[in-house]
Formats: sequence, C-alpha cells, structure tokens
Amino acid sequence: MSEAAPNVVDLASLRSAGPPKLEVRDLVQTRITTSGQSVTAVDHVTFEVATGEFVCLLGPSGCGKTSILNILAGLDRPFSGEARLDGHPISGPGPDRAVLFQEPALFPWLSVAANIELALKLVGTPADRRPELARTWLANVGLERFATVQPHELSEGMRQRAALARALATDPDVLLGDEPFGSLDAQARELLQDEVQRVWVEREGRATFLFVTHNVREAALLADRVLVMSAAPGHLIEEVRISAPRPRSLDDVLVARVVSEIHEILMREVDKGTGR
Amino acid sequence: MSDEPTTEPTSEQRLASLSDEERAVLAKVSEIVQKIQYGTVVLVIQDGKVVQIEMAEKFRLR
Repeated sequence: MSEAAPNVVDLASLRSAGPPKLEVRDLVQTRITTSGQSVTAVDHVTFEVATGEFVCLLGPSGCGKTSILNILAGLDRPFSGEARLDGHPISGPGPDRAVLFQEPALFPWLSVAANIELALKLVGTPADRRPELARTWLANVGLERFATVQPHELSEGMRQRAALARALATDPDVLLGDEPFGSLDAQARELLQDEVQRVWVEREGRATFLFVTHNVREAALLADRVLVMSAAPGHLIEEVRISAPRPRSLDDVLVARVVSEIHEILMREVDKGTGR
Repeated sequence: MSDEPTTEPTSEQRLASLSDEERAVLAKVSEIVQKIQYGTVVLVIQDGKVVQIEMAEKFRLR
C-alpha cells in the first residue's frame, strides 16, 4: 500500500517558503495627540509574510495594527524601521497591493460595475476585457443583478461585497484588509469570509493576504498565521500557525481550540494592562 | 469455568498488528509531535480511518 493516506498540511512547507513578499523590520510608529503629545502606537514590530501566505494581525483596538497596514499600503511612513515589498522599501501605494478598508471606499457617482472597471483600467486591463471581468466578479460576490446601480442604493454589506469584488478583480499580488468585515452583520460577514477563503485557495499560492482584525474568530478562520499584538504601544506577543484545510468553519475543532487559546493570550494582556 | 482473563492487548501487540495505513498515520503524528513545542494536533476520522491531520503551533514572540 502507498504511503500516508491522510491529508496533512505540512508546517515545514510554510517555514521554508521563498523570499518574503512583505517584510516589516523593527517598525516604530508614533502619532501626535490633539494635546500635542507624541504617543508610540507601534513598538519595534518585526515580521515577514511569505508569498502566498494568509496572515492576520490581531490585537485590541488602538494597538497600532492599522498603522502597520497603512505603512505596508504605502499610505503612511514609519517613524523608524522599515517596510518592504519584494525586498524593496515601500515608498507609496501601488497597483500590486489592493487595500480593503473597513468602509467600502467606492466612488459614489459611478455604478457598481463602473467602480470595478475603473480599478481594472488603473491596473492596465485592456478595455474590451473590463466589462466581462467586472460581471464575473460581481457574480462571485452575488451582486450580478446590481451592476448598474449606484453604491448608495446598496446595503452596507452589499457595498462591502462590491469593494471586495473590486479589490480581487485586479488580481493583486497582495491584498491588505483593514477590518474589512468589521461593520457587517453576522451573515454578510460569513459570506465574505467564505468568499475570501475561496479566492485565496483558487490563487494557489500566488496571492498574499494580510488582514488586520480584532476579531479572534475571523483570524483563526482565515489565517495560516495569526500574529497577536499587545495593547498599546503595540508589539507582537505571540504567533499561532494553523495548518488546516480550507474552507474552514468556526465549528471545526482546531479552529475553536485556537480561538479559545488566543482569547486566553489576549485576556492575559488585558490583565497586565490593568495591573491585576 | 474458564479462568482465562480477557486482557487488553499490550502496546507492543497493538503496534505489531497495525496496518500500513495506520503506521503511516502514527509516523506522521510522531513527526509532528517532535516538531511542535506548544500546540494542538487534531485527527479527523471518517469511516474508521484518519482522513486528515490538522495542527496549530504556538510561538511566544516576546
């Protein structure tokens, strides 16, 4: 009989992955409060994301995870340390990185399909291919019937689905998500989490996803690796590598177990913060 | 009356009677156990067979 029948996602394969797609080295970010004080938001954070990996940066509100994402998106500069994409320092936004914000940032004067077609135009997709690609992606997120409507005519969940379709239609190397499902109801959230898992699997190791979230369940559901951050000033305290096939469900034994362990880590952090 | 006790097989006896498939599963599990310092391993069983091994590994960073 042949070797090893069971399906195992090998941890070693993650570790020996090629050169990192994204690198954050000794990153420090500060912000100035309204009273003029300088506050450290991100405190010497270092991590790498390999090509084709799905990583979630998880931490309590205000721990600086959005600051890190903004720097990787090229929307902000670090106070010190560096952020690299494919080994090159990140100096600004680029078509190689799509960003999914918490609020769906659609152009209100364009139809849903036109929003996607504009994004395709900006990444250089030939004009004759844009309408079909837009249609396909709208169908993927269940919005095919709403192609011609304007964003304000859609519900919040539908707008976020349109934003996801727009981000994925451009086939970005890197998808950065800043609490992308944070404002959605439970059903819409679940639908989009499934869609994101499906797309990530379909790209077969070509797409690198980094999501920022404070939702432990979302992180355990989606990520290959969860990087857990402390409360402000944010630094990395723990890493959890999850090897389980997708699509995952919150009811999976391993997912549920990881969720409870991460909760425990975060509760310890909260206790430390309150001096208990 | 028979005084022959109905004993459970010893671990040696169990190991000796394993099928190739079961050996492969155990070899994989022991490989994982040796590699992981802190974590969880889940064996998914269907129809009496291990069809999947899932795992999570934890690392303290600071």
